[in-house]
Amino acid sequence: MKKILLTTALCATLVYAENILLPTEKRTFDQSKYIPDISLVLDTSYVTRNADPDEVGHFEVPGIAHGLLGSHGHDGATHATYNAKEGFNLNYAELILTSNVDPYFSMEGVFHMSENGFAIEEAYFTSTALEHGFRFKGGKFLSNFGYINVQHHHFWDFGDMPLVYESFLGMHGINEVGAQLQWTAPTPFYLMAGFELLQGTNEQMFGNETIGDPEDPVAKGATAPSLYVAYLKSSFDVGDTTFLGGLSYVYGESRIDHTEDEESPHAFSGVSQIYGADFLVKHYFDSYSYLKFQNEYLYRDMDGTQYSVDENVTVTGSTPLLKKQAGFYSQLIYAHDTNWRFGIRYDAFVKNEIVKNGPEAFAPDNMDKYSAMIEYHTSEFARFRFQYNRNNALYNEDGEQQHIDTFMLQANISIGAHGAHDF
Amino acid sequence: MKKLLILLLLPLSLFASLNIAVTYPYIGALTKEIGGEHVDVEVLAKGNWDPHFVVPRPSLITKVRNADALIMNGAQLEIGWLPPLIRRAGNNKVTPNASSFLNLAQHIELINKPNSVDRSGGDIHPDGNPHFHLNPANVITLAEVIKDFLTKLDASNSEIYNTNLLSFKEKWEKKLLEWQTKMESKKGLKVIQFHDNLAYFNKAYGLNNLATIEPLPGIPPSSKHTIELIKLIKEQKPCCILHDVYHSTKTAEFIQEKTGIKIILMPHDISALDSIEDLTSLFDYLTGAMQ
Repeated sequence: MKKILLTTALCATLVYAENILLPTEKRTFDQSKYIPDISLVLDTSYVTRNADPDEVGHFEVPGIAHGLLGSHGHDGATHATYNAKEGFNLNYAELILTSNVDPYFSMEGVFHMSENGFAIEEAYFTSTALEHGFRFKGGKFLSNFGYINVQHHHFWDFGDMPLVYESFLGMHGINEVGAQLQWTAPTPFYLMAGFELLQGTNEQMFGNETIGDPEDPVAKGATAPSLYVAYLKSSFDVGDTTFLGGLSYVYGESRIDHTEDEESPHAFSGVSQIYGADFLVKHYFDSYSYLKFQNEYLYRDMDGTQYSVDENVTVTGSTPLLKKQAGFYSQLIYAHDTNWRFGIRYDAFVKNEIVKNGPEAFAPDNMDKYSAMIEYHTSEFARFRFQYNRNNALYNEDGEQQHIDTFMLQANISIGAHGAHDF
Repeated sequence: MKKLLILLLLPLSLFASLNIAVTYPYIGALTKEIGGEHVDVEVLAKGNWDPHFVVPRPSLITKVRNADALIMNGAQLEIGWLPPLIRRAGNNKVTPNASSFLNLAQHIELINKPNSVDRSGGDIHPDGNPHFHLNPANVITLAEVIKDFLTKLDASNSEIYNTNLLSFKEKWEKKLLEWQTKMESKKGLKVIQFHDNLAYFNKAYGLNNLATIEPLPGIPPSSKHTIELIKLIKEQKPCCILHDVYHSTKTAEFIQEKTGIKIILMPHDISALDSIEDLTSLFDYLTGAMQ
């Protein structure tokens, strides 16, 4: 008892003493200690490719994606994909803010700023007080679908997105407003199940808005939210090797509006699904050196009606359309030490089946892409990457396959307090 | 299906002992020393690898998810890998504000706190040097802190934890004297390191660290710095290079070739070398290697 009294007295004196020592300006309502972790990530590149810059934006992956290197619009801004321009590209300056909200939540905001505008890449709150392996997320976020989808561009091993991802889902992947619930099982090995309910506005594959004049629509919209994602992931270690595998499923309404296109304007209305499988093996030689083998396979099924329209957005014809398409990427990364990394990647489509009043005449499936890269990190905060791609997946407007060689020198630099990345 | 679930969940409910996740092997050994059979310890990091660079592999998420409590070293040693594990675990018992979360660094006076913090100075630990367990005198403080922590979590076994602490202290204090005697003659000895991870050990025994092989914390050796180091070694004649086990000794060997300086491998934690099986053998080895 005496001890307690003594300690209390001592503490009181200390607190008192400290209060006296506190400078005047600190005796106010100063909240600077509550400033969130702030970081800024810059990504800039120099690109050269053996294709006419005026034509390259119109090249398409037949039956799968329009102008992969062209521009697209959202949030009121139009922009091209990463490294689309010949010469210098400022891909983005990304501002990231994170902090705990209170004892129950944390919040993260990721703001993508480019020369073309500003986009909220992510802004979400996450539960920190749930038990039994549960975690809840709400706001705009990158879906945990597959493996690479949840990772930011600055964490990727290559400067561009895997072909199948970018063709199916666009450069942002599944990045939507919605809610997520994940559960890690009490098993001795890693087992995680997740479910996401999302608004469903991905311009490449999903969407729920009415197309055309609401009075007399080309295609009536669907009730939002209209995108559902579910996945199961598991992992275990054998010695210094980690195995991670996942299965993912996406179901959503599709309303794709190409009625503004100059050439053959059209629209699609239907339902789409993606089945995904991912598999990763990472072996560590020591604290700094590893070999990583990363693979993902996506299969999609789009079932609906395609409408052709004239320049007044009046339907001129409609036909049932069924797309069954699949592709994968496989990449091998070797980290020699904290400075040097080397990587190769192979991208390919393995199925391109389009049924539109009978099979589509032009649906090639011999489309692939080879990539190789060398990275030098001066520290954890600065990486310089030299990358080479040979892309055999793009066709010009005359339906001729292109073989595009791209050389890319990329700098990815970050400052500030940036949180550690997930596996 | 139900049977399978019961089978999976059963092991968790059967053991009433506390399941404690700890970041490094030395914390695991101390916790086991005090907790005895009443605690199960899951060590997250490997003892023979760089404690700054631990991969947050998914299997570790499961360990954190299933833990009743978590003990970390702190002072930003785990900044690069523990936050993502806690974030993903969905376990409010291991969040930093929980009463079942222990940050050891809060109970030790840290040394070498930098006056200015800027990334141009390399990977600086803003709160000071985090490798405090390598002063064997600090280990007693840590044992006391862990005993208080376990008592708070599980008051029913407080007597046992206290008895275990007392017997550990008795054993450790004897060893402290032994190591002190062994190191007496080494006072004032000049040494070189790869990274200043022996700061507390050096301070405890009066060793004088002249320089590090890495030009700045976390920045790999450069030829310019290595040449300066060789010059410094020739002038100041330090006894040896105290080298950690996880960095390559290539640069140290080059320096040895040029100057004839001795290289001594210094384990930083349990299982850093095969012969280091517990805390006692860690300091037996460290003090022995200096002889």
